[in-house]
Amino acid sequence: MSLPRTREGRGPRDQPPTPSWEEARERWNWHHPEKRRLFEDAFFQAEGYIRRGSEECQKFWSFFERMQRFQSLRATGKQEEEAGRLRHCIPALADLPPTYDPRYRINLSILGPDAQDARGPAGSLPPERVSEFRGALLHYLDFGQKQAFARLARLQRERAALPISQYRDRILQTLKEHQVVVVAGDTGCGKSTQVPQYLLAAGFSHVACTQPRRIACISLAKRVGLESLSQYGSQVGYQIRFESTRSAATKIVFLTVGLLLRHVQREPTLPQYRVLIVDEVHERHLHNDFLLGVLQRLLPRRPDLKVILMSATVNTSLFSAYFGQAPVVQVPGRLFPITVVYQPQEAEPTASTLEKLDPRPFIRVLEAIDSKYPPEERGDLLVFLSGLAEIGAVLEAAQAHARRSGRWVVLPLHSTLSVAAQDKVFDVAPPGVRKCILSTNIAETSVTIDGIRFVVDSGKVKEMSYDPQAKLQRLQEFWISQASAEQRKGRAGRTGPGVCFRLYAESDYDAFAPYPVPEIRRVALDALVLQMKSMSVGDPRTFPFIEPPPAASLETAILYLRDQGALDGSEALTPIGSLLAQLPVDIVIGKMLVLGSVLHLAEPVLTIAAALSVQSPFTRSTRSNPKCAWRALESDHGDPFTLFNVFNNWVQVKSDRSTKSRRWCRREGIEEHRLYEMANLRRQFKELLEDHGLLAGTQAPKPGDSYSRLRQHRERQELYQLKRQHEEGAGRRRKVLRLQEDQDGGSSDEDWGGDTSQGAGDVDIQDVKFKLRHDLEQLQEAASSAQVRTRDQMTLLKLVLARGLYPQFAIPDPFNSSRKDSDQIFHTQAKQGAVLHPTCVFANSPEVLHPQEPEATEGKGSQDNRDPMSSKHQLLAFVSLLETSKPYLVNCVRVPALQSLLLFSRSLDTNGDCSRLVADGWLELQLADGESAVRLLAATLRLRAQWESAMDGQLAQARRRRRAAEEVVALSKELLQFMASKVPASWVPAAPWPEGQEPSPDTALLAQSNADLYSDCLRSFWTCPHCELHVPLTPLERIAHENTCPQAPRDAPPGAEEAAPEPLRKVSDLQRPYHCKACQKDFLFTPTDVLRHQRQHV
Amino acid sequence: MACEAEHSPLGMFECQLCALTAPYSYVGQRPPYTQSIVLLEESYVMKDPFTSDKDRFLILGSRCSLCGRLVCVGPECSLFYCRRFCLPCAQENAAAFPPEVQQDLEKKKSPRKRPSSQHGSRT
Repeated sequence: MSLPRTREGRGPRDQPPTPSWEEARERWNWHHPEKRRLFEDAFFQAEGYIRRGSEECQKFWSFFERMQRFQSLRATGKQEEEAGRLRHCIPALADLPPTYDPRYRINLSILGPDAQDARGPAGSLPPERVSEFRGALLHYLDFGQKQAFARLARLQRERAALPISQYRDRILQTLKEHQVVVVAGDTGCGKSTQVPQYLLAAGFSHVACTQPRRIACISLAKRVGLESLSQYGSQVGYQIRFESTRSAATKIVFLTVGLLLRHVQREPTLPQYRVLIVDEVHERHLHNDFLLGVLQRLLPRRPDLKVILMSATVNTSLFSAYFGQAPVVQVPGRLFPITVVYQPQEAEPTASTLEKLDPRPFIRVLEAIDSKYPPEERGDLLVFLSGLAEIGAVLEAAQAHARRSGRWVVLPLHSTLSVAAQDKVFDVAPPGVRKCILSTNIAETSVTIDGIRFVVDSGKVKEMSYDPQAKLQRLQEFWISQASAEQRKGRAGRTGPGVCFRLYAESDYDAFAPYPVPEIRRVALDALVLQMKSMSVGDPRTFPFIEPPPAASLETAILYLRDQGALDGSEALTPIGSLLAQLPVDIVIGKMLVLGSVLHLAEPVLTIAAALSVQSPFTRSTRSNPKCAWRALESDHGDPFTLFNVFNNWVQVKSDRSTKSRRWCRREGIEEHRLYEMANLRRQFKELLEDHGLLAGTQAPKPGDSYSRLRQHRERQELYQLKRQHEEGAGRRRKVLRLQEDQDGGSSDEDWGGDTSQGAGDVDIQDVKFKLRHDLEQLQEAASSAQVRTRDQMTLLKLVLARGLYPQFAIPDPFNSSRKDSDQIFHTQAKQGAVLHPTCVFANSPEVLHPQEPEATEGKGSQDNRDPMSSKHQLLAFVSLLETSKPYLVNCVRVPALQSLLLFSRSLDTNGDCSRLVADGWLELQLADGESAVRLLAATLRLRAQWESAMDGQLAQARRRRRAAEEVVALSKELLQFMASKVPASWVPAAPWPEGQEPSPDTALLAQSNADLYSDCLRSFWTCPHCELHVPLTPLERIAHENTCPQAPRDAPPGAEEAAPEPLRKVSDLQRPYHCKACQKDFLFTPTDVLRHQRQHV
Repeated sequence: MACEAEHSPLGMFECQLCALTAPYSYVGQRPPYTQSIVLLEESYVMKDPFTSDKDRFLILGSRCSLCGRLVCVGPECSLFYCRRFCLPCAQENAAAFPPEVQQDLEKKKSPRKRPSSQHGSRT
């Protein structure tokens, strides 16, 4: 038992030992590397328990040193006294050695090389040293056993102490008797970690446990693996978007809800699972609600499938009833008593209610805590605020209070903070100082912080709400629900009795809604509907949701998907739709990917699509600062291209020397984590496109010589080793916060983490994982090949983005050129007066959007001319429209107005000579020259058809790419020509809608009122330059003829020349070839055209 | 890790004193995980669950050499001195052990054991 242990001070290995000890050892120096090596050679062979050079080996030697020191102390100190001889009457005890030796207490022995055997590896070693070494090794092994066993015993004690352990048998019994069981338990009862283990122990396998958050999948798999003692036995695994630890031996897998739904998409009956645990159902996430619906339908077809729904103890009857009165097992949480204090804020008229939150009530709570609770009584404070602005407002005031009192460290917590800054909330405050964490509702469920004793609840939450009409996301402030209020309160009682200050009246609380609004009732349902379509669950309108979404949201989503071409007229999935359904991204971005790969622009589009799918990589502190470093990478074509540049530069830095990238990001003001996410996402997109034959598979790595292969192999081995070490280590250690920590607390993470003092041993685990997952050389090749981009490529790339984004377009206000940079406003179809996000490149250089012709009159003459005829009008395509304090356009690209509208709009109305165009009944353009307008329109029609057919071709016969390649080259060429055409145009009305005034329908919908303009009087005699046909035609008829003229220098479909005579009224996506049996003619008709045409024959 | 040989559990080990349970995958004196170590008693052994190293094992417990009870190696349940003794048997026959072990047994018996005093003797 006498285990040598010193608290610290394992000195460097070559430090000389105390002289007395050295003398005693008669010049045998254990510290001599050569001597050590002899023993390692003899004992630590390849198949030995400890291997040479391993970490274990190092640990042994430091143990050895401590033991040597300890024994030398003992030797000089007290003498081992001789024990009296004891003989016992029980024979089993009689032969115990009477003289005590700690070795007798060790239950194992080492089979090592024999020192007596002169020929053996230990033959040359002095026998007494060998026994000294053996003794130490024995103690070392015994010590390891004791440590590991103590850990195991502690784990089991903790498990047994959880409230849910009392309910284990009941849960298992109920599951035996029923197909669905609801386990309802509050935070801290242990349901998420224990129920899976109960199933494992009861012999279940093929268990899936879904989590709403990826991070929970990883941490739960780790925890459950550890507790069920199979951490490294692969019985417990997880699967998330980019990572999987699943193997054939996996019995239980933690995965995200989204991923499970993808399994259903592939195999609707989920044959690979026998038990499904759906955790956190009460959070009512969109996917969770949908999954419940899927399961409800699936259960009758899979009577052998068991389902456990796990929820907090709210509204359990809803879930129970949805699954035919499934039994509910209620488990009490483990909360200490919490005192609730209502502190309603009196209306204080001085503080303007609109602009800024009044921090005073919050500071009063800090003061109250200071005066009421002695500082030596520990316990931190968690403040729930509705959003970032509110956190900022309170942060400022709280930091001032912290400086005055010296008793607080103030830390913000929200999802846009860097990971390092988020982690800071887990650090500990120095003695006598409390943490004050200012958080959004992220700390309600996603982040659990220990040691909270006080909670301040503002009662407010900001949630994204969705306006289906405007396709606008709106961040709005709401009162929370009673369930949320209780959850917030509960955070004060996890480690001891606590206090919850509610900054509202009890009557307010009573008026709160009992539960939060389920996600399905407040978000856009496009992706959900698309997924439902691809899973063939039938009409989304009749799907048995646990609580149905608003009918209007469903209709909007269906309409949107039809607009985007994902659904056809009968609401069935189109080829592109089924591809989009498999891309785990926004439909708009999915479309970009498909369009990009069709035009052979996959590499850059992959990067851009990935960049647009993750949170902004720019750290908050640098976002609004126009002078920070990353601005040098800005592209004046638009934000997606800035992101593209940032990513490529990062890859470049990484391939130069991968460990430098962290520093580079810090300097540039970029959150590196987001770039890692981009890299992962990019790879996933690439694989998906390859799977669908839209992209040639990655070429097998060049064989290379055996040396480089060996080197690569070794590098990978080292990386795996590093990763394993990191995972086995405790991960991030808690640090003690400095009192002045909060000086920079709000924003920056640059000063945080002490990266400057980074030791060589500090592994950048993100970098290691990155290198394991990606072939850096390949990525660098892709990045550099994409970087030397020609102007043509840029033009095509912008076309791809814009076509993906349409109709998310905004038109600059005509008065912008006379406004300040910060006052530039834009109008979308549904929203007037949107502004640019401060990170947007155009917010700093709006002049690139102004349509002045370079050759226009000198000076500022064009100021009065607000309606310049110009071929340089531009539109902004944007990725999202987000309304917070103002409606913001996020991630904008500028595109040429005329060509974009011609190519992308769903419908184009024109007047007789095509000099006026109305796109989608929204934007109207006046063209200077009718002749060129007709030519442009002709080209438009041709290109649209060509592009469409190129896409269809690629999607339908993706495998036979060769043939399509030429088609694409021709298409790209023509698109470029088209984009290069300079046709001056101006917006109509010249000043679109003075602020606040909607466009009047009869100016916007020009063609409707002008429908009768298409009469014979507009026909004029015209000679076709190709076939010399000489007939009276309207301009549109001429286009139709030119596009189909058999003599024209292109191959046209047969019989097309007869298509000309019928007046073409609209150019629309809805057009389909139509053969009229009555007049034996072929037309390109929209469904309404068909009806109109048929009426003629009646 | 795909090639990792899964040592399938033979059964559940359960300590008859503290009810600690854990799956064991070997019983005997020559654990299959490593060549270089032998055990001095018939032990219930599992692969060390706390490391990815496959030749690490963890001894869970064995039978008391006096009463035959199956006990875990935890210091509250048993002690090893040349053989395994469950704590009740060891307490009963405390006199048979050398003073160093007796001291230890004494500490475990008295409820007011001071961890600090143990520390002092160890460091």
